[in-house]
Amino acid sequence: MLRFRNTFTDGVGFDTVLVMLALGYLVVFSAYPLVYNIIMSFQEVDLFSLASFDRPFVGLDNYRDVLGRPEAWTIFLNTVKFVGISVAAQLTIGFGLAMFFQLDFPGNSWLRGLFLAGWIMPALVVGAVWSWILAGDFGVLNHALLSLGLTSERIFWLSDPDMALYSVIIANIWLGVPFNMILLSVGLAGIPEDIYEAAEMDGATRVQRFFTITLPMMRAQLGAVISLGTIFTLQQFDLFAALTQGGPSNASNVFQYWSWQLSFQYYEIGVGSVISVLMILFVILVAAIYVRSTRAEHVA
Amino acid sequence: MKRLALGCSALVTLATAATAQSVELDLWTIDDPGEYHYVLAEEYMQANPDVKINVRTVQFRDMVNDLARGMATGESPDITYIDNPEVALFASRGLLLDLTPYIEASDIVNKEDIFPGPLSSVTYEGGIYGLPRGANTIALYYNADKFREAGLDPDNPPQTWAELYETAKALTTDDTYGLAFSAVATEEGTFQFLPWLQMTGGDFDNLQTEGAVEALALWKSFIDDGLASPDTLIRSQWDSTGTFNAGAAAMSISGPWELPRMSKEAGFDFRAAMLPIPTADAERASALGEGDNVILANTDNPDEAFAFVEFLYANMDRVWNEFGYLPAANVEVSDPDYPEIYAVFEESMKYARNRGPHPEWPKISQAIQGAIQSSLTGQAAPADALDRAQSQIDKVLD
Repeated sequence: MLRFRNTFTDGVGFDTVLVMLALGYLVVFSAYPLVYNIIMSFQEVDLFSLASFDRPFVGLDNYRDVLGRPEAWTIFLNTVKFVGISVAAQLTIGFGLAMFFQLDFPGNSWLRGLFLAGWIMPALVVGAVWSWILAGDFGVLNHALLSLGLTSERIFWLSDPDMALYSVIIANIWLGVPFNMILLSVGLAGIPEDIYEAAEMDGATRVQRFFTITLPMMRAQLGAVISLGTIFTLQQFDLFAALTQGGPSNASNVFQYWSWQLSFQYYEIGVGSVISVLMILFVILVAAIYVRSTRAEHVA
Repeated sequence: MKRLALGCSALVTLATAATAQSVELDLWTIDDPGEYHYVLAEEYMQANPDVKINVRTVQFRDMVNDLARGMATGESPDITYIDNPEVALFASRGLLLDLTPYIEASDIVNKEDIFPGPLSSVTYEGGIYGLPRGANTIALYYNADKFREAGLDPDNPPQTWAELYETAKALTTDDTYGLAFSAVATEEGTFQFLPWLQMTGGDFDNLQTEGAVEALALWKSFIDDGLASPDTLIRSQWDSTGTFNAGAAAMSISGPWELPRMSKEAGFDFRAAMLPIPTADAERASALGEGDNVILANTDNPDEAFAFVEFLYANMDRVWNEFGYLPAANVEVSDPDYPEIYAVFEESMKYARNRGPHPEWPKISQAIQGAIQSSLTGQAAPADALDRAQSQIDKVLD
């Protein structure tokens, strides 16, 4: 009996309990919804059959239906643009700022703290703020551009189909930069100073030092930031809800928002599930890259 | 713990038995405390101490999802508010109680008194599945001061589409748009556009009318010619009318729910006129908004639930002054607030038509929104956009 108890306080039993706890959590809160979602994508589902499994299977009909819709291609391209531009810009600006804050100057930590403000705020609040900035008739940005004489006419950031997606991207970049900056700052702080000193003595220029020391040493962090950034960007929903609702005419719609619209605005839950299954597949791919890049970190 | 819970529920059962035939009714509403359902439930409980009504607020946008979930898990209320176009969805699934026999037996509810639009919104395949709690519709608000400044007669607001365009043009200045309305890609966009379509003989199942093409072309010209803001495409009715209240638009198409805010914010002489029609002799149409009190089919207390819904209906004459919407039935409203504007809305109400009814209304509405948005952004010619929407709708109707 004592041995039985001992294994739970200090032994294999304890380890097993810990593993089971984590595993149980994953099964209930990750695997189950994931599998449920995949099953729904092959079924005809509406609001009232959500709770039961007893629904007609329709094979690949949902997939054919949603991918055959004329707006699917536009929305796919929008998603690619949204993720690509957002991640690239967040990374560049975040990296730049991280390097800037490596320098020692007065007010450094204060300023760096301020940069985090955007990250701390809920995305819906950020969305509301940006919708004031970007509003066409009374927006702050238009007012500034007009007063500075940079444009002669108002730009309808949110309702012009050629601008709407880029407006959301701008807001999203702003939202994501602090996260990139913090993660990359940590990486930069981990590069030993003496390597730079040695390189400097050998006559390496700043640019050379950046490309031969900083970038290679930051590989793991960059991989992590890019894959996490991609995942976060694919999850970005609130900004779309607050700024454009995917409009006008799907000009700024992306997969994650479309999936929600299909499921909860038009109650085509099976079709909405198809989109999330496709997104999950892509995210798994990105996550695999992330895991690989963090594994490299451990080896190093 | 379990035993304690059992003990408690036994006590509760005892307590209920002790107070004899006391009935609890669960009511879901989109109102906040102090509004319609809360006020009237309180009054009803005062008058009927044996009935307890548990009122719960559900966000408007969550109502359909929450109800569906509640029904799946057996936690649905006895009575709920449902938005007009959603009644058919729930009725088609047999989830709502058919009130026809109750209405026939009722001394208070008279089917003939209910205006045709609201009546149609609660009717599904011959049954009546709810009673409208009130109604709203849209009209043309206008700034009489700006009319005078532009040399227009404020006693003579535009009657036809052509006049509306000319008036909007005359009222447009460097810092004022002539007209504000909403072409947003939500149910509100459909709500605003449908009357224009119906005035020309079309409806949700018949979009390809010449008049519909003309209406979309007119909407497009409002934006292209600078008479309305391009943000019309992404603004709700509430936000659009906000620009009217601020003096940035001289006219605005919206409903009576604007009046409390307008009377506070708009520092000018605001008036209302009926929605302009295509030509002077065209038929009128107007949108129908607001929702209904419905009883769920699985309620344990249908009689008590109907008695309460009947009481709500009996208070229809109070909805304008106290709760900000229009009566959905022919009742006498004594001493209405904003009497001139009330008269315009009351008259418009006679032409208010239901959206649908169809159990898959959101899909139909989405097709209509698509046609509006693709035409106004110039991605498709109005006729092509309507053709496409029609084929989408035909798929749903089949």
